[in-house]
Amino acid sequence: MAELRLNFFQRNSSKISQAVMIIILVLITSPILLGYAWLILRSFSVDMVHGFIPTKLTLKNWRFLWQEMKGYPNIWRTFLNTFWIALWVMILEALITSMGGYALSRYDFPGRTSMLRFILVLHAFPSISLMVAIYYVLKVIGLLDNLWGIILLKASLEIPWGTWVMKGFYDGIPWELEWAGLVDGYGRFEVWRKIVIPLVKPGIAVTAIFAFLSGWSEFVFINTFIFSQNAWTLSKYVKGIIGDFRFADYGLLTAVGLFYVIPTIVFFFFVNKYMIKLTIGGVKG
Amino acid sequence: MPEIRVVNFSKHFGKVRAVDNVSFDVKDGEFVALLGPSGCGKTTTLLTLAGIYKPTSGEIYFDDQLMNNVPPKYRNISMVFQNYALYPHMTVFENIAFPLKAKKMSKEEIEKKVLEVTKKLMIDKLLDRKPMQISGGQQQRVALARALVKEPAVLLFDEPLSNLDAKLRMMMRAEIKKLQSDLGITSVYVTHDQAEAMTMASRIAVFSMGKLVQYGTPDEIYNEPKNMFVAAFIGNPPMNFMENFKVQSKDGELFATRGDIMVKLPPKAKEVKFEKTEGLVLGFRPEHCKIAKKEVENSIPANVYVLEPLGRDLIVNLKVKGVGGESELIKIFAEPGMNFEIEEKVYIIPDPEKLHLFDPETEETIL
Ligand SMILES: Nc1ncnc2c1ncn2[C@@H]1O[C@H](COP(=O)(O)OP(=O)(O)OP(=O)(O)O)[C@@H](O)[C@H]1O
Ligand SMILES: [Mg+2]
Repeated sequence: MAELRLNFFQRNSSKISQAVMIIILVLITSPILLGYAWLILRSFSVDMVHGFIPTKLTLKNWRFLWQEMKGYPNIWRTFLNTFWIALWVMILEALITSMGGYALSRYDFPGRTSMLRFILVLHAFPSISLMVAIYYVLKVIGLLDNLWGIILLKASLEIPWGTWVMKGFYDGIPWELEWAGLVDGYGRFEVWRKIVIPLVKPGIAVTAIFAFLSGWSEFVFINTFIFSQNAWTLSKYVKGIIGDFRFADYGLLTAVGLFYVIPTIVFFFFVNKYMIKLTIGGVKG
Repeated sequence: MPEIRVVNFSKHFGKVRAVDNVSFDVKDGEFVALLGPSGCGKTTTLLTLAGIYKPTSGEIYFDDQLMNNVPPKYRNISMVFQNYALYPHMTVFENIAFPLKAKKMSKEEIEKKVLEVTKKLMIDKLLDRKPMQISGGQQQRVALARALVKEPAVLLFDEPLSNLDAKLRMMMRAEIKKLQSDLGITSVYVTHDQAEAMTMASRIAVFSMGKLVQYGTPDEIYNEPKNMFVAAFIGNPPMNFMENFKVQSKDGELFATRGDIMVKLPPKAKEVKFEKTEGLVLGFRPEHCKIAKKEVENSIPANVYVLEPLGRDLIVNLKVKGVGGESELIKIFAEPGMNFEIEEKVYIIPDPEKLHLFDPETEETIL
């Protein structure tokens, strides 16, 4: 029997559509890619001509990594501060939202529905409008100019929304699984820990990732509530270089800027798996 | 193994009366089926036996112990869920070992028990797979293994076979029945499939809209249905009903009549005290009739409407002229070897011993 004849386009339709897709994606992302390419090139060069061609390569712009810069705090200290904030915002948020989301999803306590609505409204509220109130609160509890003040502030502003997200993940888990756990001889808390938590792991991971990144990139609160240089974070450091009174050093600026995003990129590589799971939205184990 | 007693049990969810004042008992080692259509409160009753729901009112006893407020983990029960409720993040082995781990058993002992039960259920080759990686029938066996492995005092089943194909369902039906009688574990089995209940259970509790309508052996349920609901729910095809019959006596015998239709009632009808004798519903099962091609006494004239051959059996669909002109559809199992033509005129001869009469208002059985 003869094989069904197909023309070139029919035979290769999936390959062709894939190629078209890749071309389109490259075109769309090219401004960002070019931007990063410029950033990298500029950070290793003395100057650029025609906007894109380095005149001479150098490591001078990266000197902040191994020598003290006048007028700036130690870069590693600043790095650790940033990491510290991101880490604790992540820990607090993952811990509290994974419990709060469960309660909102599973327990029918009085005021539950109004709470769910209130969280949404709260989220729509720009936190910048809270600045003055926050200032007073931080002052009263003595956490002005303190990293813990920023950590608690960030976490508390994001926990409601994270709780809502986690509730969605818990809602996707059938009651029967929990009932099976109870019948199999476990208490409610053990069932939560041994059956439910492993199934919402992608949700916890996603919440944690976003918490980390939001802590890592926080600027407004740090700029407002942190005064001493030894509590600076990388965002504040970058802002410092752009400076209000200083003459901007573009070489240094690009190098520090790059240094600031490297951990984010590395982080993304590691957690890619979970991000993809989020879009599929699966509790598929 | 305990005896289960359910006394005046009700469960309400807000305004919904899921279960309303139900009482029944399950003897030590007995296999009882809760049977009823969707939404009649079977699962609610089962989950209350499991301790997942608390009764709104009434009592649940295991032997003489009041269990109303005892959490599931202290009840020594197992349950097989309709969708199996296997833990997706655990392997088959871990799933089955899970209830044993709760008992703080040693690793070797757990391994031994899991192997034993999985061998018996022929799933010992699948221990390393995740639930997603095995077929529905295999998942069902894993769920069963998980329920059996801890040797519970009470086994609860919630429609465990409803997700399987017909052939597998028949096979598992027999297998579960055998396992249960071998192990002698007190079991409550929820199903909406009357054939499952009839074949597996020693007693059947028929539910309708949150109420227990009848509780008895399959024989009783089949031969002496308490009302039209039970009569119609049991048997496939269900019992035939014909409306508007009168009870008349002639020559010392009782007859049900409608127009020129006249069928003889069994002698036991004479012992019945009829509160009304008109407008009654006559009921007879498809398997309790004969079909004659020539007119005979005590028969119902009808026309052949559709034939449904099932290989071994032939279901003849007949139309009988009703009172108002519209006709009633009657299904009958034909005797083997009989042939029919569409529109052919035939005569239904119901077995008088198996005739029923119902009150159309209360739907209660009169005869
Ligand atoms: N948690 C609940 N909240 C409110 N109503 C409920 C709840 N659980 C069950 N019901 C209601 O109670 C009634 C009985 O439900 P149940 O699940 O016991 O039915 P079932 O006999 O198991 O039906 P099925 O054969 O469809 O599984 C239904 O009307 C159902 O809508
Ligand atoms: Mg049910």
